[in-house]
Amino acid sequence: MNWLDPIRRISHLLRREDEAEIDDEIRFHLEMEIEENIRRGMPAREARQRALAAFGRVEGVKDEVRDVRRIARVLGDVARDGRLALRSLPKQPGFVLAVVLTLGIGIGGNLAMFGVLDVVWFRSLPYPEPDELVLGRVTYEEEVGYTVSGPDFFDYRDQARTMAGLSALTPYPVRVTITGAGAPERVSAPLVSTGFFKTLRIDPLVGRHFASDEGEPGGPDVVILSHAYWQRRFGGDRDVVGTAINVDGTPYAVIGVMPPGLRLIVDADVWRPIKRGENWASARQFHNFVLVGRLGPGTQLAGAQAEVDVISHQLADAYPDTNRRKGLNLTPLREALNEGYRGTLALLLSAVALLLLVACANVAGLLVVRGTARRSEVAVRSVMGASPGRLARQLLTENGLLALGAALLGTALAAWLQKAILLFLSVDGVGPVQVGLSANMLGVALLLTALTVGLFGVIPAIRTARSEPVAALRSGTRTAGSRRGTRVQSSMVLVQVALTSVLLIVSGLLLRSFNQLQRVDPGFDAEGLFTVEVALPAGEYQDMARRAQFYSQLQERASAIPGVAAAGLINRLPIRDGGGNVRVAPPGEWGSEGVFNRLAYQRMVLPGYFDAMGIPLFSGRDVALSDDRDSPPVMIISASLAAELFPDDNAVGRMLGIDVGEDEPWTAEVVGVVGDVVPSSLASGTDYTMYFSYVQRSPSGMRLAIRTQEETTGLLPPLRSITASLDPNVPLTGAAMMEDVLAASISDRRSVMTVLMAFAGVALLLSAVGLYGLLAYDVSRRFHEIGVRMALGATVWSVASGILRRGLVLASLGLAVAIPLSLAAGRFMQGMLYSVGNMDPATYGLVAVFLGVVTAVACLLPARRAASVDPVEAFRAE
Amino acid sequence: MARSDLLQGSLDLLILKTLETEALHGWAVSKRIQLWSRNVLEVNQGSLYPALYRMRDRGLIESEWAVSDEGRRIKVYHLTSRGRKALENERQSWRRFSGAVEAILAT
Repeated sequence: MNWLDPIRRISHLLRREDEAEIDDEIRFHLEMEIEENIRRGMPAREARQRALAAFGRVEGVKDEVRDVRRIARVLGDVARDGRLALRSLPKQPGFVLAVVLTLGIGIGGNLAMFGVLDVVWFRSLPYPEPDELVLGRVTYEEEVGYTVSGPDFFDYRDQARTMAGLSALTPYPVRVTITGAGAPERVSAPLVSTGFFKTLRIDPLVGRHFASDEGEPGGPDVVILSHAYWQRRFGGDRDVVGTAINVDGTPYAVIGVMPPGLRLIVDADVWRPIKRGENWASARQFHNFVLVGRLGPGTQLAGAQAEVDVISHQLADAYPDTNRRKGLNLTPLREALNEGYRGTLALLLSAVALLLLVACANVAGLLVVRGTARRSEVAVRSVMGASPGRLARQLLTENGLLALGAALLGTALAAWLQKAILLFLSVDGVGPVQVGLSANMLGVALLLTALTVGLFGVIPAIRTARSEPVAALRSGTRTAGSRRGTRVQSSMVLVQVALTSVLLIVSGLLLRSFNQLQRVDPGFDAEGLFTVEVALPAGEYQDMARRAQFYSQLQERASAIPGVAAAGLINRLPIRDGGGNVRVAPPGEWGSEGVFNRLAYQRMVLPGYFDAMGIPLFSGRDVALSDDRDSPPVMIISASLAAELFPDDNAVGRMLGIDVGEDEPWTAEVVGVVGDVVPSSLASGTDYTMYFSYVQRSPSGMRLAIRTQEETTGLLPPLRSITASLDPNVPLTGAAMMEDVLAASISDRRSVMTVLMAFAGVALLLSAVGLYGLLAYDVSRRFHEIGVRMALGATVWSVASGILRRGLVLASLGLAVAIPLSLAAGRFMQGMLYSVGNMDPATYGLVAVFLGVVTAVACLLPARRAASVDPVEAFRAE
Repeated sequence: MARSDLLQGSLDLLILKTLETEALHGWAVSKRIQLWSRNVLEVNQGSLYPALYRMRDRGLIESEWAVSDEGRRIKVYHLTSRGRKALENERQSWRRFSGAVEAILAT
């Protein structure tokens, strides 16, 4: 009799009737039936079975399976499930909010990191045919270094045939002073080989490319302006091309302007051509350039590499002193530019992935609890003929909708987070980085949503759909069968605690590294130290004596500013200006094997520098103004260099030779030994340093270091007027407190650490909430049991401590799982750690204590609630 | 206990009849049919509720939520004036039909 077909009829009802009402009605009916059966004297079990049999659901299930139009029906089901979910979800705003927020943060974090990856890692370089571009870096015994020497570059360029172009660039802003029209200005003027822009295939917006004779000795002095500098200094006036500007006092003809946004590795205001054999490109042991090559049509990277290897061997044969171990490595440009971010990005991506897993585990735990609360509703639908598969699908649809909501929130969050992370990471790139939501990101958002539903939604849906209908109806909403529910929920909490602990430990390791770095003694007293760059236009200060006079006058007058304790001058400040290391050895050992690798930083100072910086003088004397060109050369070396070169002897009075790019070393007498400083980065520590008298070897630019008593902000105006009174064409730039310079030098580490700690914090919050939820649910489930125990004489403390113990056991288990994971993660990120091992006991201990405290806090409310159970009330509730 | 399946179409008539004098919830409707038929007729939920909803959609009965004597929330159904007319029509046509069947069987 087909009118008995319950599926069709009931599903017909479901479409119209509010589902919850049908549930209530049917359950009421079923309960009445069961009660009556029991009144008639049936055992409870039989009473239930009879009542259910009256439903006749068996036929319904069979029919469903047989249905030939299954696909059509499934589609119809999906639409109906969607409608049902849309109706039932708003009735539980707290739950929906919790899930959407939790998953939204997880999805948002991942999406944002993908967005970062998208613009940093997969970015397309803003040059035509970017995949043909390669970066050329020097190798020492196969190990990839960075800069290549000028003469080596010219040999590679002139001999290589497989590449469509090979050019060179100084990878740092070579600061020059522009004078003439307007105030003197320090600008970035990297040197490039004449074919640089042709290799990139970028044509000037105005004017022309460099001509090849402009890169040869004696060629005309020319510059090409960046678009930004052209706009800023010349207001975009096309007529500036063909005129001349003063670069360090020498007139340079402006021959062109590049299009906007052009950037490679270093910011540039103007570009100047490298001249073969002159200044920066004078010797094979002075490495100042990175190479940019373009593979010719049809040339593979391996072919080009093989060719430069041959050239490297020829150079090694021709110049064994300098090139014996050197080679040239070619790497696709994009890959090479990304190398610096690989570790950081991998770390942050893993962290957000963990965060998403924590969020999924959290929501899964929540769903299991809710599934238990919904068992009776599900049971009613199940006795009305819905198959477990059908029910699971419906629950999954609900979960899918939740995930979709989370994805929307996550996407909005990601747009903002991506910008924040990029701002933090200060990505060094090529041209402006395009931020914002891309089509790629939206695709990934969908993928993440599906993944999330898979992770958090499937198991709870299946579990709920499978619940035994009779037991569920019988018991109302609680107790029976929920032990398994708590077990699933417990394991979800375990997962959360474990993953969170990994995040905590990893960010703890970074935090400890950062603290260690901050504690590194730079070798000087950074407190109250003000620094500023004072560069002399080289053209107008050809005369060394004039330069020395300028600087000593400046030093004298700066020292006289009220509040200034001491002022000193050096060409390169520690930490701020690295680089400039050369080979050093006693003249007798010169040319022997061991000398090759002993490098020391060379610095030029005026008298009083060590005093101003607070660098101790261990023996001998400071340089003096009398150490000039007419007297024998002197030098001061750092204590570690003295110990290395003269282990058992006083270094003062000994002679040392340094490499100046000529056949014979330049020799000087050691007149003093000073404390070690950190010359370049805090992480690489102190290093050998040599100081020379400025008057004997004088570069044009110096940095002034001023030790002040207290007030520092007011120092710049008096300094400006002093400088202007000496020479109005000398600019003061880069004013900074040394403490800020130190902080800035490790700010990248701070950023990564901060982002990671934010992730760990969110994960911790989720885990704490998850743990709290588990325990609170457990207490409410065991309300009656606790009441009985208290009626039987259990103390408040024993009840509460039971809850606390449960929480702590879970947290300990989670931590135990996390430890091997963290050890592996720590090994992976060894390169980012500083003087902290991946097993750092302090980090692990602190995380354990911290986790314990947070766990205790999460346990507090449930424990209080358990302790406040009134036995009488507990019985009445039953 | 011998039981009979309901003939198609007759369920509606029986439901209308049980609701003729008072409003009842679904379970009471099925019990009353069982009782009045002296346990011969039994209606299961799988057909009772679809019938109730269908009849409500056709405007023969109306439903409302009420609270039972034991304080439980229940849904009760009562006849509309259309339902009353339908009950009369159904009753007459059933009587005509069963009278005809009886007449044939009596020959």
